[in-house]
Amino acid sequence: MSTEKKSLWKDLMDLPKNIYRSIFRNPLPASDRGRAATSFTNFFLHIQPVRVNKRTLRPSYTMGLGLISFFLFVILAVTGVLLMFYYVPSTTQAYDRMLDLRSSVAFGVILRNMHRWAAHAMVAVVFLHMCRVFLTGSYKAPREFNWNIGVGLFLLTLFSSFTGYLLPWDQLAFWAITVGTSIAGYAPLIGHQLQFLLLGDATVGQEALLRFYVLHVVVLPIALVLLVAVHFWRIRKDGGLARPEPSELPAPAAVVAPAGEVVAALPARRFAIQGLVKGPLVKVGTLDDDTVFSWPNLLIAELFVLLLTVAGLMAVSLFFNAPLEHPVNVMHPPNPAKAPWYFLGLQEQVSYSAFWGGVGVPAIELLLLVLVPYIDRSKEGVGRWFARQRVWANTLFLTFVLVNIVLIVIGTFFRGANWQFVSPF
Amino acid sequence: MGAAPKAIEPAETQVPRRQFLMWLSSVGVVGSALAAIFSTFVFMKPRATYGQPNRFRIGRPEEFPTGARIAIDTKRVCIVRDGDKLAAISTTCTHLGCIVAPSATGFHCPCHGSQFDVDGNVTGGPAPKALPWYLVTITPSGELEVDKDTEIQMGTYLSV
Repeated sequence: MSTEKKSLWKDLMDLPKNIYRSIFRNPLPASDRGRAATSFTNFFLHIQPVRVNKRTLRPSYTMGLGLISFFLFVILAVTGVLLMFYYVPSTTQAYDRMLDLRSSVAFGVILRNMHRWAAHAMVAVVFLHMCRVFLTGSYKAPREFNWNIGVGLFLLTLFSSFTGYLLPWDQLAFWAITVGTSIAGYAPLIGHQLQFLLLGDATVGQEALLRFYVLHVVVLPIALVLLVAVHFWRIRKDGGLARPEPSELPAPAAVVAPAGEVVAALPARRFAIQGLVKGPLVKVGTLDDDTVFSWPNLLIAELFVLLLTVAGLMAVSLFFNAPLEHPVNVMHPPNPAKAPWYFLGLQEQVSYSAFWGGVGVPAIELLLLVLVPYIDRSKEGVGRWFARQRVWANTLFLTFVLVNIVLIVIGTFFRGANWQFVSPF
Repeated sequence: MGAAPKAIEPAETQVPRRQFLMWLSSVGVVGSALAAIFSTFVFMKPRATYGQPNRFRIGRPEEFPTGARIAIDTKRVCIVRDGDKLAAISTTCTHLGCIVAPSATGFHCPCHGSQFDVDGNVTGGPAPKALPWYLVTITPSGELEVDKDTEIQMGTYLSV
């Protein structure tokens, strides 16, 4: 009787500890073995490798662009779901709900600001991430497929942003979507069908609003989540972030370690094989010495990027309000009517030639993006910015990037009424 | 002598049968997937639209005096009448879908500056093609009816 009581008392005393241990399978790691165990026994941490190359952690190599894209997507999902509680996808109510967000919904303004600015930022950062991957030659084998997953993610990001643009149902939204979907209408053969399918009607109206809403809040986010999952998975399976072959790097200075230390370190470094990974980058037996444990090195880096992303977005959202123009007036198009900024390069091209500017040239550019890892099979200059061996590929890519940026800048700042050339100065 | 080939025969026929079934089920699965995708698009394409009908009545011919060029922005057509000839020209810009306004020389788009003559031919700006003309008929009750689903040759008038 007394022993039972005693053990019950002990169990009660141990309750918090037992609950904690049932949730977290490992104590905070103190040894290398513990650091490895923490990484692969935690659901959220097992996405990361146990050890990560030091080059991968250099901020000057990745600039954290992929991670920022991902965090922006998470922020967009959270703020987006919150905004859904107050939004009605109806032509008669949508605009009023925008005004309500401003006037009567707690934190309505900051949530909408964050959602809008994060959406713009995500388009820009995903594009910059693509530039980083190209300019460091990271699309090359065995990462060809992941590069194309990335191209898909870029398109989904653009389309998500575009479908969200219509939802406030103000003049800016209405005419931007009218112009944007008309560009889609220039596609040969399927153009008009595509436009009709997208709008659900002959013109932008209630059907288009409902369709864009469903695409924006259900279809595209699910597609994005799926592709992001595959994208992350393939990073691991393709051997981590691209980096130069060891032979390309300068030989590390020889380190003479005390004999006793080496013997002591060996047992702790014997890990079970978790899976077989193709590629030359994961080695069993001898471990790369230029790797460090993900816990805490990678984790701290990721948290730092998250902090910067949230802080930056909050700062912008506190000082700048998301635009909201007059409610839709179908009779009075603004002059000029402009598509969202990331499509203004397209719109500028369309003003020269409807088919080539709107469909032909973008299709060729997209095809080149998709095919580039299969055309460029050389293995040189991988994992370094502006490698000398890649000067032609990088120059060609930067030319395309600059041309598109210049077209967007012209469309945004240098086009006034009737699409006449005006000076913003 | 004939025993040896006979013994092999069952093995020979079994493998093709498996392959055939494999092939058949693959076709079934892939075919069903394609049919499902196709059906989704069929579903997505509305048979009836809830917006404005593309066939509508615009009033009696007397309401459009000769020489008139009256734009009906809500319907996105411009009714032109010259003597006893009457026609309906689209006022949706062929460039990017803005509404064009009648001007002294024809039509003018406020969005990107496309210019059209009185018949809808492009005379300037980025518009890639002329404004379409729509079929106009007279209903038994004597009203004019425009059918925006039926484009007709430029210069085809209805006699009223």
